[in-house]
Amino acid sequence: MSHDTRDTGPHRESPDPVPAEARAANLELWNHWTRIHEKSAFYDVGGFLAGKTSLWPLELEELGPYVREGTTLLHLQCHFGLDTLSWARMGAEVVGLDFSDEAIALARRLAGQAGLSGRAEFVCSDLYDADAHLGGRLFDVVFVSWGAIEWLPDLDRWAGIVARHLRPGGVFYMAEIHPFARALDEVPGEHDVLVQYRLQPAADTPDVEAVEGSYADRDADTTGLVAYGWTHSFAEITGALHAAGLRLEHLHEFPTSPAPFWDWMVQDESRWWWLPDARGGLRKDLPFSFSLRATRPAGPET
Amino acid sequence: MLDDYLKANLASWDEAVTLHVGSGLYDVEGFKAGRSTLSEIELDELGPSIREGTTLLHLQCHFGLDTLSWARRGAIVTGVDFSGKGVRTARSLADEVGLSRRATFVQSDVESLPDRLSGSFDVVFASWGALIWLDDLERWADVVAHFLKPGGILYIAEFHPYAFLLADDATPGSLRIGYPYFMHGVPQRFDEPGDYAEPEARTEHTITFEWLHGFGEIIDPLLRRGLRLDFLHELPYTVPGLQFSFLEKDARGMLRVRDHHEDFPLSFTLRMTKEVA
Repeated sequence: MSHDTRDTGPHRESPDPVPAEARAANLELWNHWTRIHEKSAFYDVGGFLAGKTSLWPLELEELGPYVREGTTLLHLQCHFGLDTLSWARMGAEVVGLDFSDEAIALARRLAGQAGLSGRAEFVCSDLYDADAHLGGRLFDVVFVSWGAIEWLPDLDRWAGIVARHLRPGGVFYMAEIHPFARALDEVPGEHDVLVQYRLQPAADTPDVEAVEGSYADRDADTTGLVAYGWTHSFAEITGALHAAGLRLEHLHEFPTSPAPFWDWMVQDESRWWWLPDARGGLRKDLPFSFSLRATRPAGPET
Repeated sequence: MLDDYLKANLASWDEAVTLHVGSGLYDVEGFKAGRSTLSEIELDELGPSIREGTTLLHLQCHFGLDTLSWARRGAIVTGVDFSGKGVRTARSLADEVGLSRRATFVQSDVESLPDRLSGSFDVVFASWGALIWLDDLERWADVVAHFLKPGGILYIAEFHPYAFLLADDATPGSLRIGYPYFMHGVPQRFDEPGDYAEPEARTEHTITFEWLHGFGEIIDPLLRRGLRLDFLHELPYTVPGLQFSFLEKDARGMLRVRDHHEDFPLSFTLRMTKEVA
């Protein structure tokens, strides 16, 4: 692999901000979800092995132009690596990082089956421990997508990791669930939504919820599993990236979701999920996702 | 169509000037006696950037109290509003408080301003209920970028877009959605006889057209014109002016959502800097 390995200097090591019980519960959940997701129609592993990309047209359109033959790409919180490997198939030299050992084992198997082992490396690591595994490696692109940051209590440290592994001039890109959508729930008995959860972050207060199935398979058995998540706002996300020295280049918002929040949401032919309106059409009025691009400035710091 | 919307909004704002000059919310007498009409939010965040001689352009300035409050702190200010009545009132207030030498007021909608005003500014400022009167923030961003000096800053203190989404009958126990976040250019039509500063007033021009703008719609056009985001803050409170039934005043006089004092954002501020070419 041809990663630039210039060291960006020492940084402080401090305890992982994820509480131990949250880490244990989320790890059990993600290992369990990995087994379910491998067989799910949502992830369509067979389709991927047959050559289909798992990336959404959104990421392909917005980040695709920055990924060329030999582009080095770090995918944080990569789950079992389908998106990571889809970037590799487009020519990137990729490193996927995830805290789930079962997900990383599956990602490595899939890399072998897809003939991409030569350009894909998978690292099993807690997000906040990434520096210890990546050392001073710098990448052209850092990629984060769909349901990643809600598992993280501290975005300042997350953004620091992003910035420390981006080369000067490198691109950070994320496509995520919209902060507003994360606070919504369904109105009981109606195909409508209300604000049910907090919109303002409270870093020390995880949202703890019993897990019902998976976003990829709503009927999957997840009895006894619990998820610990954290609320994040645009102020927090953009502030963390700014403090880490990254410069915001775009912020886009969309009324589409990559997965159904409720079983009465409807899917279009491009796989996006929507709120339905009363006349059988699609509601385009509320935000369900966003994308953001930021760069590490190439010149000397100003 | 757009002309009709703007005509209705102008009639409403012309009428509002007369109402607001006598209102407790605007407290013109207090201003004349020396009180700043700026809230602690913009004083904390923009105040340090305003020094003696700083040039400041205030877009959608209504009748100029905030504009003149910046002038009192040393800024050389230009206030712009589409209401002729607003601008005339602002000029006479500037005279009364002895600030006419450092305050200029121009009647113009935002979009046409480059035809009516020359020069460039250290600071462009807009606040509290300005953006909802603009149909297209691409053209607004053109104007902001046009009037900012290289290295100059845009500062906005505004009602949070989420604050406008809740239904009229939303309650703290059931925060139902009633209005769109994405308007796709189509304005919301309101027909309301009251006024945000004088809720009991029965106004003559009751119809307005408003456009909500989300964060992407606000920030992205400015990024594409070479402005850098310095900060975006979201606050769980706001200055008075919103009339929703699920709001209440806190001990400092700020509005918050009842039973959601810390978890529902009602205002945001942002600062962006125009790149030095």
